[in-house]
Amino acid sequence: MEAHQAVLSPGGSDAETIATLGWVMFAGGSAIFLGVIGLAVYAHLGGETLRRRLASRRLVFVGGVLFPAVTLTALLTYGLILTGARLAAPEADALRIEVTGEQWWWRVRYPATGDAPEIVTANEIRIPIGRQVEIRLASVDVIHSFWVPSLAGKVDMIPGTVNRIRLHATRTGTYRGQCAEYCGAAHALMAFYVVALEPAQFEDWLAGQRQPAAGPLTALQKQGEGLFLSTGCNGCHAIRGTPAAGTIGPDLTHVGGRLSIAAATLPNAAASFARWIRDNQHIKPNNRMPAFRILPDDQLAALAAYLESLK
Amino acid sequence: MPRLKIAIASVAACAIALAVGAFLFAWSGLYSVAASRGHWAVLEVILEFGMRSSVRTHAIGIDVPELDDPALVERGAGHFQGGCAPCHGAPGRSSSPIVHAMLPEPPDLAASAPSWQSEELFWIVKHGLKYTGMPAWASQERDDEVWAVVAFLRRLPQMDAAQYWTLASLDPREQDIPIRSLAQGGPVGTGLAACSRCHGLDGAGRASGAFPRLDIQTADYLFAQLQAYAAGARQSGIMQPVAAELEVAEMRRLAEYYAAQRPAPAQIPAESEDRLLAIGQTLTTAGLPNQGIPSCNSCHAQDPALHNPLYPSLAGQYAAYTAQQLALFKSGGRRDTPAAEIMSVIAERLTAEQIDAVSLYLARLRPGAVERATP
Repeated sequence: MEAHQAVLSPGGSDAETIATLGWVMFAGGSAIFLGVIGLAVYAHLGGETLRRRLASRRLVFVGGVLFPAVTLTALLTYGLILTGARLAAPEADALRIEVTGEQWWWRVRYPATGDAPEIVTANEIRIPIGRQVEIRLASVDVIHSFWVPSLAGKVDMIPGTVNRIRLHATRTGTYRGQCAEYCGAAHALMAFYVVALEPAQFEDWLAGQRQPAAGPLTALQKQGEGLFLSTGCNGCHAIRGTPAAGTIGPDLTHVGGRLSIAAATLPNAAASFARWIRDNQHIKPNNRMPAFRILPDDQLAALAAYLESLK
Repeated sequence: MPRLKIAIASVAACAIALAVGAFLFAWSGLYSVAASRGHWAVLEVILEFGMRSSVRTHAIGIDVPELDDPALVERGAGHFQGGCAPCHGAPGRSSSPIVHAMLPEPPDLAASAPSWQSEELFWIVKHGLKYTGMPAWASQERDDEVWAVVAFLRRLPQMDAAQYWTLASLDPREQDIPIRSLAQGGPVGTGLAACSRCHGLDGAGRASGAFPRLDIQTADYLFAQLQAYAAGARQSGIMQPVAAELEVAEMRRLAEYYAAQRPAPAQIPAESEDRLLAIGQTLTTAGLPNQGIPSCNSCHAQDPALHNPLYPSLAGQYAAYTAQQLALFKSGGRRDTPAAEIMSVIAERLTAEQIDAVSLYLARLRPGAVERATP
């Protein structure tokens, strides 16, 4: 799967602004650097008279005080004008999403609108292109930082406060995000995907997410559902449409339809579910879920088949 | 200068001569290692002095917990009868003449225990004594079990035979058992692996919670525990030696026997504080998600239809036992089996008060039935 995670490959207007600013600074910085080097070479090759002229008070004042002051002020003004749009009030039709950082995954909520109930999912955010998205960022434990380099800048998620970030995707595609503030042992494995869709596709997806989980079809999946409810999975995880209503870990109602599991750590496949359930403390040390080495192979396979079927 | 050199050379020569002499003496085999002859009186005094000094010094800094808990004394007594009495004897029953012929002879602890401090007894029981035949505790992680033995040893000197037997065993005295059994298996309760001594023939244990109830568990669970004990994956200096004596087929039969016992109704603990029970009920039925604590019921379902044989039943289990095991999970004393890997993660998030509350609440539930106890 191709997922963009690069400041220089923007897929949204904020990221484009940041990329433009970056290029302007890179070009300007390069020009100044070349000028300074040129002057140094010139002074070295030129005669005594030239060097005395270059050392005049007036030139030192102009080159050492006036030039930096003017350049930096201009850059600041340009930067403020360019990024100032981010301070404006959100657009009326902006899509609102809440993302909470938890060691080491992302709880994602699409709040209830009108008759449509709230949707809770994890580690994956789907958004429509061409529409502003306002994300409220919170944390339940330590400071995390929300960063999707191809879509916008980074904003910290701080316990006890709510920060906001706006995304405005212009190109459909899959963008990888990463926690950008060290948040404990498995910080490096706390990633996620943002999938930007055509508006119609997005509405379809949203409607699908509002549905409860599809019931198990095969005998193996049926056995997996039973195990989910009797092995303790339901103590921490919810699957809407079943009695499982745990809220400690990620909601798994449509986990089989996500791009990855364990916060963009493993690809979404039955084998990944089985590995995660049994070996999660090796895959992501110290994560909050206990390792279920207790499950015999056949039960593990049934659980994995059931979870993968939850599209 | 030459004098100093001569002195050094003389000392070196003496040391070498001594070492060679000692080697020749050992090599000649003239020294008798016979246990039948005893030590020289002087050597006896020196050995005793050395042992007492060593124990005293090594016991420095050991904190003695509260040892008056009846459950602690009963647990210690149960193990003493199987693990200690064969060598040390017990009130009303002296040790075997075979043991009397050991050197040193294992002391009668009713007489000798009072000469030791509690922390010294703890150190001896935990670490054993070199060159004496006194073994170390089989599970070095279980200080709580060692303290149970110490708690019992503190009480032992004041005990007569009847009191001792009441504490040490749930089995009848030998005059009460059928003569055929006596003729066949010897006095009842003397075997190390006599489950019924502590857990009873009905598996209901003791009201103090010194031993867990087995009658509420499934055969699969009990069998898995016996195997884990035998392999040392579930640490216990009391249960590991017992389980290690059993053949796999015997474990299976015992597990099935106890699982088939009809569970006795829950014993309502006397002190039932409403506030604690409310906390316990919340933890049992709903958990505390914001503290990362799932409900007990999500794994230990009371509904027989949802009950998973991999997990123990908790309804009706003695509060003291549940609390003690949760404390072990929390402190790392029980974390090496696959099931303990799950439980220790959750127990680490429980406070001491929550452990007491949930243990008390679970003890009031009727085994094997869905029930919402009214606090």
